[in-house]
Amino acid sequence: MSSIAHILNRPDVLERGEGRAPNILKTLLAIQAELGHVPPVSVPEIAGALGVTDAQVAGVLFSYPDLRTKPAGRHVVRVCQGESCVANHCGRVLKELEKKLGVGLGETTRDGRFTLEKVYCVGNCAASPTVTIGEDVYGRVSPATAEALLKDYR
Amino acid sequence: MTRRLYIPQDTSARAVGADRLAGAWEKEREVEIIRTSSRGAFYLEPLVETDGPRGRIGWPNATEKDLPRILRGEEGTPVADIPFLAKQTRVTFANAGVTRPLSLEDYRSHGGFVGLDAALRQAPEKVVEEITISQLRGRGGAAFPVGRKWQAAQETHADRKYVVANADEGDAGTYCDRMVMEGEPFRLLEGMLIAAYAIGATKGYIYCRHEYPAAARTLREAIKVLTEAGYLGEDALGGNARAGGRFTLEVFVGAGSYVCGEETALLQSLEGKRGVVQPKPPYPAVSGLHGKPTLISNVLTFATVPSILARGGAWHAALGTEHSKGTIALQIGGRVKQPGLAEVPFGLTLDAAIEEFGGGMATGARFKAVQVGGPLGSLFTKAGLKTRICYDEFARAGAILGHGGIVVFDQETDMVELARHFMAFTADESCGACTPCRIGSVRAREILEGIVQGRGRPGDLELLADLGETMKQASLCALGGRAPYPVLTAIEHFRKEFR
Repeated sequence: MSSIAHILNRPDVLERGEGRAPNILKTLLAIQAELGHVPPVSVPEIAGALGVTDAQVAGVLFSYPDLRTKPAGRHVVRVCQGESCVANHCGRVLKELEKKLGVGLGETTRDGRFTLEKVYCVGNCAASPTVTIGEDVYGRVSPATAEALLKDYR
Repeated sequence: MTRRLYIPQDTSARAVGADRLAGAWEKEREVEIIRTSSRGAFYLEPLVETDGPRGRIGWPNATEKDLPRILRGEEGTPVADIPFLAKQTRVTFANAGVTRPLSLEDYRSHGGFVGLDAALRQAPEKVVEEITISQLRGRGGAAFPVGRKWQAAQETHADRKYVVANADEGDAGTYCDRMVMEGEPFRLLEGMLIAAYAIGATKGYIYCRHEYPAAARTLREAIKVLTEAGYLGEDALGGNARAGGRFTLEVFVGAGSYVCGEETALLQSLEGKRGVVQPKPPYPAVSGLHGKPTLISNVLTFATVPSILARGGAWHAALGTEHSKGTIALQIGGRVKQPGLAEVPFGLTLDAAIEEFGGGMATGARFKAVQVGGPLGSLFTKAGLKTRICYDEFARAGAILGHGGIVVFDQETDMVELARHFMAFTADESCGACTPCRIGSVRAREILEGIVQGRGRPGDLELLADLGETMKQASLCALGGRAPYPVLTAIEHFRKEFR
């Protein structure tokens, strides 16, 4: 059984909501939680298991920014682009991280250690600029302190 | 003698070192660490507190080496004397920084469930009436009269009804919902229980954004606690008698889409579909989730409900201005000295918010503009700072209060680049359901990119104004309808920079 088939057979994924229809988003998030991303080649398999069309699955997969269609690096570094961070000149932090990591937004370092992304607000606006690494949130980040955040993430 | 040290576990407090302090000090023999919510005075975080003879004593911006002086009680500030906090009217955030988020005991001893108990002593119709009397308006941004929603949901007959909390707090610059969910989740759940009783709902969802993992975790724990305590579940005390006393709650985590904060898109997403805005009517209160009557409101709106039931609708209606009742949670940020949450009655002027609570500009920064109401909010310059913070005056100024975010920009901000940023955001987040937003935001972004890169053409600004007018008039929801405002107000106030 493929790893995706295994997830699709989990009781919490199979469970039908009160609407009696499968929840495509919940299913894709469950797959991503296990595999780190949802491979687009698996769309027909997922659609078949849920009893919906390929287009319905693909539509959901490609419309949510946090659903990944390819693997990310071991640690996802996100620089917040919310208005409070913009007001606190987060662009300078982003530039510094791009320089230190040698990648641009949406790219992964060659060693697979970091993927650099932007995010629109994580609610840390009163301690901006904000950088997140995985689920860890860092506030009051400056271009001078940004690189030091990375060292604990191997 | 063991000393109690209160350290916040709010995400923003942790982002500036609260966990590091707690980790370093928990091994100390004479110390007991208690993790609380945050006061919301984030410029002071990490703010460590101890018990004093007359309330808590605080040590702002504490570092690891402060422990000896904290234990000796040296140089602390009585928390009640901090002007930023003393000048506020804390209602919904009264317990912020005081209680442990997941302690039912703390919640009960600080006024928890007084509202629910009051609601259960009345007929559901009376509960709806109380909300109507309170003149509460939706705190998410649309400011719709909440009583009318409750009434519609109550009066619509169906075999199943839902209560949904919109926890997709996407407006950049805002975090009050996050503070409620991480800091006092029981308050949100109590508000939802009261709503369920009033309209006769048996099932509720909290749609929490993906960017708030700590909030989602805390809510799931809080639901567990309330289920074990008999408030939630199949035979719950707090449930609706007409529905056999049942009310169950579930947290649903989204996948990073701003437009899912729009109620019809949110309900689509909750059903697992693409988050696409639907035309109204039908309104969700009549036909919402799975086609059933659904009461959907913002987190802060539900969190306001327990106080209204506890103190009465008339109490709430006595706070604020003529058409803006109650308190507003201002989230003051950007280049101010004292970023944080200020809960005050409606009616404060914008400059008072920035000066009295924000503490004025940060060191070295000069005021250039302020945006109120998130990424779709209008920009104000110095000339607009006398505007009072209430729905009426903001509507007259063509502006919105949104979710209460106030972001101050300094003299180093490039307004053309900022305008491009705003429109790029809308182009990124447009759901594509209507043409003015889907195409308009992309064209407007392209024009602004051209100006940023020095390729601006004569007529660009007129074209932006024309395009903006079309988006305002013809978009299906507020994303397209409001997106032109920050851009057009930037052009209006800083026209020279757009040449």
